[in-house]
Amino acid sequence: MNDFDTKWHACAARARQTLRRDEESPFGFTTRIAARATKPGATPVEFTWDRVLARLLAGAVAVLIVCGAMELPHFRDAQPLKPGIENTVAQLVWSL
Amino acid sequence: MTATDGDLLRQVERARQGDPEASRSLVDALYPQVIRIVRSHLPVRAAEEDLAQEIFVKLFSRLDQYQVRSAVPFEHWVSRLAVRTCLDALRAERRRPELRWSDLPEEQSAWLEFMLADPAAPPDTAPASARELLEKLLSQLPPDDRLVISLLDLEEKSVKEIAQLTGWNIPLIKVRAFRARRKLRKLAETFKKENPHERL
Repeated sequence: MNDFDTKWHACAARARQTLRRDEESPFGFTTRIAARATKPGATPVEFTWDRVLARLLAGAVAVLIVCGAMELPHFRDAQPLKPGIENTVAQLVWSL
Repeated sequence: MTATDGDLLRQVERARQGDPEASRSLVDALYPQVIRIVRSHLPVRAAEEDLAQEIFVKLFSRLDQYQVRSAVPFEHWVSRLAVRTCLDALRAERRRPELRWSDLPEEQSAWLEFMLADPAAPPDTAPASARELLEKLLSQLPPDDRLVISLLDLEEKSVKEIAQLTGWNIPLIKVRAFRARRKLRKLAETFKKENPHERL
């Protein structure tokens, strides 16, 4: 063991003498944890609904981002985007 | 198995069945053990109460995984869970705080001078200053190294106990401890070179 290691151990021995602080749980801690521990888990229906909802939300955000990305190059244009699909019915509706 | 272990296991069984009183007793009984581990391995910017809460939440969510008939006593199982949660928190720490000689209070720099230079006798300071300096030096190490040195030198755990707590094998722990001490020495020497006042 070299000199540094010996002195490191001397420092560690002194550090171990530090007094233990109050080790009681803070006010409300036990109740908070116990409440979470005994909280009934979600039912299967709630669980499924949560999963579906999360996926729907993710899908909606993805569509929003795609729309935003498509719209962005035309942001400063005077004319709004024309409909991409044009057929006879659309032409008729457009001319009315 | 002692009577205390038996009481603890009865509370575990009742807590598994959703008894709030047993859950409260369990938290009260285990809090001192958990908070000691948290204080020894707390990331610099984390709050000890938050980390303790995370450990207890994990503990109750995994209570069914503890097998009473296994050879592992419940308290060891809790210690292992607490140590691994602290290690995850240390690994998640994005940046380690920078350590500068000029930021050290006089008592801590006296300890560092003792470790690096000639003084044969350790400085006569309060134990807290030695502890704070060690914690500052340890905070510069990678999480796994820090954990090994804290457990070996500050908590005086044996290599076998560390193996039980971390799940690492004994040769790995010994190698890690050896490398960590070498890193600490290099760190201290670098620190000495960067000392603008050249006190040493």
